[in-house]
This record gives sequence, structure tokens and C-alpha cells, in this order.
Amino acid sequence: MKLTVTVTVPDDGSRLAVEGLELPGEQTTVVFGPNGSGKTTLLRSLAGFEGPTELQDVAYLQQRPYFFRGTAGYNLGIGLNAEAAAWGRQMAEEMGVGGLLDREARSLSGGERQRVALARALAAPGKWILLDEPLAAIDRADRGHLLGHLAGVLDGRSVVVVTHDVEVVATLADHLVVIDRGQILEQGDVATVIGSPSGVRSAQVLGVANLIDGLAREAGDICILEHGDVSIAGIGAVNGPGRALFGAETVTLRVPGAGISSARNDWLGTVETILHRGQLVEVAIDIGVRIVALVTPGALVDLSIEPGSEVGVSVKATAVRIVAA
Amino acid sequence: MDFLGQVFNDALDAFLDFGPELRGVILLTLLVSGISTVLGVVIGIPLGTVLGLERFPGSGLLTTAVNVGMGVPPVLVGLLFLLLFWNAGPLGSLGLVFTPAAMVMAQVALAIPVAAGVTRGAIQGLAPEALEQMRALKLDLPTRSRLAIVEAGSGVGAAVVASFGRVISEVGAVLIVGGNILGETRVLTTLIVQESRQARFGLAVAAGVVLLLISLAVNLMLARMTRVRLVTL
Repeated sequence: MKLTVTVTVPDDGSRLAVEGLELPGEQTTVVFGPNGSGKTTLLRSLAGFEGPTELQDVAYLQQRPYFFRGTAGYNLGIGLNAEAAAWGRQMAEEMGVGGLLDREARSLSGGERQRVALARALAAPGKWILLDEPLAAIDRADRGHLLGHLAGVLDGRSVVVVTHDVEVVATLADHLVVIDRGQILEQGDVATVIGSPSGVRSAQVLGVANLIDGLAREAGDICILEHGDVSIAGIGAVNGPGRALFGAETVTLRVPGAGISSARNDWLGTVETILHRGQLVEVAIDIGVRIVALVTPGALVDLSIEPGSEVGVSVKATAVRIVAA
Repeated sequence: MDFLGQVFNDALDAFLDFGPELRGVILLTLLVSGISTVLGVVIGIPLGTVLGLERFPGSGLLTTAVNVGMGVPPVLVGLLFLLLFWNAGPLGSLGLVFTPAAMVMAQVALAIPVAAGVTRGAIQGLAPEALEQMRALKLDLPTRSRLAIVEAGSGVGAAVVASFGRVISEVGAVLIVGGNILGETRVLTTLIVQESRQARFGLAVAAGVVLLLISLAVNLMLARMTRVRLVTL
């Protein structure tokens, strides 16, 4: 089952008009876009805050959830039946805030409150779960664990998440929608959209054109992801199935054998395709896995790159993020 | 002795004497104002809450009625109830004219708009996020009302204070529907009117001081209650 909705926020007519947004049921759709792209307005509108909505039966987590006077546990249980409240408490427990439920909600830290609010939204009855930046207030150190947990809980449910966090996209998304200034730049299966954005703008918005799945392990202060014979060094704390993410613009190319790069990731590859995208050129290279580099037309000439030619490829480990998949 | 000194002395005498006359009047004042305030806020606070939270057909009209009601002259309300309860009037058969019951009814009518109006203002003054959160949680109206009243805590407390202030200080309505009958319907405010009209200023001033003390005590009590109780409600 897939819903295709058109969202218009009436007000002055120009604020937001998104046409043909695809929302597959029983999957997690992540709407990704920069700040001010209309993500929150879109989600509010799906939640029915801006007028009638095409989604029935919605549980909605706001970007800044509000807590009423009373304990965190009281806030967690407002409007829930006994069964749902018990499930919400269990959620809170699993997210590490079970011991805080007897405390006054407003005395909790931003991150703690966000977890309680998340537990509340997940426990609320609703066919569709709408989450606005669910990890915005969570410390970086806790994100990996929480994201992994969230991915498990959301699996098989109909979810829409809006975020400008690539890590959230990589971990949660089945279906990805890239929007900017109230317009859908592209949408589709997450690996397809991230792996080969169809436009310069969406590649810029995403900041990631390379998504490589593999087996990750921590090695000292970096993380190594193995995909077949290719190993990729990056930043992350993953041991097990992982996903490496890096932008096409972070990939540098050079003549094979010309000097040794300081980059931790230094490969030799074969150019597959060359695509002109506005002012820049997108080069797809096979290094054992397909990766995409964004370079200037001048570089293309200097390196005399053409389909089939050999090329040296490097990426700094600090430009690569490795997240749990 | 000069005039004001004489008045002060007489007032002190009346106060120290604290005769059955004054005692009866104080008791009736507390009873009538107390019951009126309780009934007024029991009706007015839920009304104001719903008006603050919801828009429904007729809500605009009701809000206007509440706003007008907050400022309506008590003598007019008194006159209306007198006409209703007058022996030949529509409710004359109840025999309520010149009784404390009629005074309570007139004062409830004065208190409801004040309680509702102040409550509505307090609810609308809540953070928009709070109102939105209630919608996000898909709460029903009774639950939202309860949450909103607790959130608006001191604002709703102000509604009680203002309602009590409206009825305890009011003289026009109780004078007209009660008739200011000694031992039956005379309260502190009508006593002051009566005594000052006859130039017996001592008792009038004593009654005025008692009125002030009651007001002070009730305000202190309500302030305490709204601080402590509403938070843990």
C-alpha cells in the first residue's frame, strides 16, 4: 500500500505546496532537507495541524515536545490506555530514561525529555507515526545506540520522519524524499536516491552521493568498513553491519601512481561514466564498489579522464561517516 | 473632639461590642458571597476553559456575552432578578423575593461572567506549544480542559479571586433583590449604605473594616491554594 499525497498549506498559498509525495505503508519514509526547506510545515500538515490531512489516525512527535506540569511518567501516560501506557514505560526503559519517570518532567534535560516524548509518541495509538527531528536534542555519544533501537521499533510500521541529519537517513530510511524550499527534489528507495542523486541540487542538499554497505569494526580511533575487497576508513562506532557515507565532493582524483596521498582511503579504480551536471562533472568509478566523485571540468582535462581510464581515488577518513545499518 | 476622631471612636465601640446585629450581618455576608463564588466558579471556570480551547457554533456570541457580563452594572442584574421573583412575576410563585436565596442567584449571575472571562484569558495565554501538544496527543475535551486548568494554575486562581471580589464588594444587586431586611437579608455592604444614609458612621466604618479583613483573608487563602494545590492536582 502506498499513499500519494498532495500537501498545500493554505494561509497565503505560497508557503508550501508539495505535490505527489509518496508515502509507502509499513515502511519508514525520511523527508530530508536543509533548515527552512519546509520539512516541519510538511509534517505538521500531514498531522492535520494546517487543515484536513489525507493521513488517517496519526501519532505526531513535535520538534519541541511540550511537557505538562507533573512527572515524566504522568506526561508519558496522558491520553493513553493502561496497555499503551505500560508499553510506553517499557519504551522509556529501553531508551534509558525508565528511572527518571518519577521526576518532574520539566526538571529533565533536553535529551532526557526528548526520549520520554519519543516513548510517548511510539506508544500512542496511531497507524502513522510522524516524527519531527526525533534525535535533535540527543548527545552525539548516545545517538548510535538510540537510532539502532528506534530502527528496530519502527520496523514494519508506517512512519514519516523529517530530519536534516544524514545519519538518521542512513539508519532509518526505507524510502527517501529530498525536499528544498517546499519542493520535492526527488524521492525513492533510499539506496537509489543517495547513491545517485538525479540532480545537482539534491546531491548538494544530501551532501552524500556515496553509500556503501558492509561489515564494520572499530579500530582505534577510527572505524573500518569492509565491502568485499574494499576497506573504507571513517568516523563511527559500529561493530557489525554498517554503512559508510561520504559526499561526492569529498572524493579527490589523481593520475595513478602520482605521489602518495595522506588520505586514509586511497584506492585505484576504473572510470565508468562521466556526467556533466551544471558547472561540475560527476565521475563514477569502480574501485571494487561503485563510488561517485564530483570534480571540475578542468580537472577532467588535466587528468585526461575518460570512461575506462585508470584513476587514483582518495577520501579523508574524517569525511566518511560509518553508521549502523 | 473633632468629627473624624468621633467616627473612629464609634467604630471602635461598635467593633469591640461586636453585637448580634453585626455578627449576623457578617455571617450572612460570608454565606451569600461564599456560596455565590463557589457556584459562580463551578460554572464559570469550565465555561471559560471551553471558550478558551474550542471554537464552535455560538462560541463567539457566548464570548461576547461573557465580556459584556463582566462589566454589567450589578443594579441591573438585581432589577432583573427582582422582576423575575416579584410576586406577580414569572417566578413569583417560588416566593424568593427578598430572601438570601434570591441574593445568591443574582450574585451567581454576576460571578459567572467574571470567572469565565478571566479563565478564558488565562487559557488563551497558555504557550501555543501546550495547546498544540494537546492536539498532538489527540486528547478529548474533558482531558484537555483539566490539563489546561492545571497549566494555567495561577490564572485560574485569579478567576476565583476576581469572582469573589465581584460578589463581596457588590451592593446594588443584593440591595434590590434582598431588600436589606435586618436579620434576614442585610449584608455588610448594604449595612454600610443603610448606616451612612442615617449618618451613623461608626457602625458603617466598622462594617467596612470587617469587609476589608474578609477580603484580605480570602485572598491570602486562595493565593495559598492556587500555589500549592493546583500544582499537584
